[in-house]
Amino acid sequence: MVTETTTWKADLTVDLAPNNPRELVLRNPVIPASGCFGYGQEYAGIIDVQALGAFCSKGITPEPRQGNPMPRITESPGGMLNAIGLQNPGIDGFIRKYPPVWESWDVPAIVNISAETVEDFAMMARKLDDVPGVAALEVNISCPNIHAGGFCFGWDAGMSAEVTRAVREATTLPIIVKLSPGAIDIPEIAMAVEEAGADAISLINTLVGMAIDTRTRRPKLANTTGGLSGPAVKPVALRMVYQAAQAVRIPIVGLGGITTLSDALEFFMAGASAIQIGTAVFSSPTVLTRLIDELGRWLDAQGVASLGEIVGTANPRFRGHESTPATASGME
Amino acid sequence: MASAQLIKRQPAPTREFTGTITERMPVMGDAWLVTFTAPKELCAAARAGNFVNVLPHDHDVFDPPLRRPFSVYSVDVDAGLMTLLVRPYGRGSGWIVERQVGSEINVLGLLGNAFELEPKSTHALMVAGGVGAAPLLMLAREAVARGVSVTYLMGAHTTEALLEASELPDEVEYVVATEDGSAGYKGFVTDLVPNYLTWADQVFTCGPTPMFYSLRQVVLANRIGTKPPVQMSVERTMACGVGACLGCMVETRRGMKPSCVDGPVFHMEMIRW
Repeated sequence: MVTETTTWKADLTVDLAPNNPRELVLRNPVIPASGCFGYGQEYAGIIDVQALGAFCSKGITPEPRQGNPMPRITESPGGMLNAIGLQNPGIDGFIRKYPPVWESWDVPAIVNISAETVEDFAMMARKLDDVPGVAALEVNISCPNIHAGGFCFGWDAGMSAEVTRAVREATTLPIIVKLSPGAIDIPEIAMAVEEAGADAISLINTLVGMAIDTRTRRPKLANTTGGLSGPAVKPVALRMVYQAAQAVRIPIVGLGGITTLSDALEFFMAGASAIQIGTAVFSSPTVLTRLIDELGRWLDAQGVASLGEIVGTANPRFRGHESTPATASGME
Repeated sequence: MASAQLIKRQPAPTREFTGTITERMPVMGDAWLVTFTAPKELCAAARAGNFVNVLPHDHDVFDPPLRRPFSVYSVDVDAGLMTLLVRPYGRGSGWIVERQVGSEINVLGLLGNAFELEPKSTHALMVAGGVGAAPLLMLAREAVARGVSVTYLMGAHTTEALLEASELPDEVEYVVATEDGSAGYKGFVTDLVPNYLTWADQVFTCGPTPMFYSLRQVVLANRIGTKPPVQMSVERTMACGVGACLGCMVETRRGMKPSCVDGPVFHMEMIRW
């Protein structure tokens, strides 16, 4: 498919790794979220994938995984619960199968990685470091640490930093660390991973929830619990992005229930430089390209020359402007 | 052996499009036939078994969020119309059947694979339960057009819930079963199946999961060897419809497969029971 000529003037570009020589420059800030866009090919015939800012792959693990038993998904008010269980071909199968396809695509591919040990995170980062077609890594720290009794890496600042540092040492690729909403203190975790070398952070992952079938008196998901996503989680995600934006200078990718232009603007104004769209892609794949178009037109209508000018505008203690004086000067 | 494979999806286009409802008709008791405008290229490409995912909410209200899957019931290629058979089970399907003529409907399709009628098959048995009648009706029309003899078995609780015989081509032998005995055989439709297993070259089925279990028992107990082979169109709760989320899996002999792209039609032998 051929990208239509843009119908707006505003500059939507964003650099998610300004401190990394390998950089991660996106032509616009709209990214389908991990787990909601497969490996990109699934949507290639439906929308113009190369019109997106970037896309995130499904979560990849050290070994192939069959995933959880069925049922894996169930709907809930304003959202859904999923317990897919990271079904994927494993890092080696993944590298053989997908990056060769992406190499010819003019859109950055971000590989989401999950592991249960620090060593495995580092091993995957090392393997992906020079794979053509891979633009950046998103590190899923909402995984249980098997050396910490299954306690999630992302709930603890020390463990979050340890994973980030190990990945940083294993690759020069831009690293986005994806935070867990299960953390007690989001600013603490955000600062810890920034300090440990993350180029950017993304938040939030899904919130753990469950549903019960009252007819069978059993949990609706075979896994009992699952991740809650969709419009229902948006206020929580927005609050956490707002808090994180007061704690770190590195770019923030906001996600959690974003469905409309208004939702997207809220995340930018809270301090996100880019956004990910998850559950809304299931409802409407064209939401991705529609949001890019609506955002460009909205900025034009507001007389705003570049997206960066609205980032953090609703957040009085937004720290991003400290490190991006060019953008900040446009504000004042 | 063909039945040890997944059924490949034919190269059909997938689009997210907005159609306008042109007709809605109550059928089969509490179900509706909903007809809407659709791109002609999609109508022309639709095969029996293909399905579409319908958005069950208005553009400004995002609840319930997930699209609902429906097998294509029929298409009118010249007029650019597609018809779905919708039974209102819950909020999503309930919303869809309440859309009036003239209102818009957002559709993602075509999705999934299709039933495979072997070129050498001359006798096809279809076993339908409930709204599973839809893809089999389309298949019956395709089969008759190819000169295949079709027997269409349909089961329902009562007469009103049966597919109208007039919907099927005249050439089709239509045999019904009702649980209350108000029409045809009194009992389950699967009870009728043994009579046709030596006659049929292939069996095609779509219906509720319990029907699949009993059909499998009946087929395994009554057929000779592996013939006739059985193709089943399954239904799973679904999110994306395109193989991205891996929510609608079927456990097969080749691992967990998404029913939206490796199905909805599976060879019975490929499914792990």
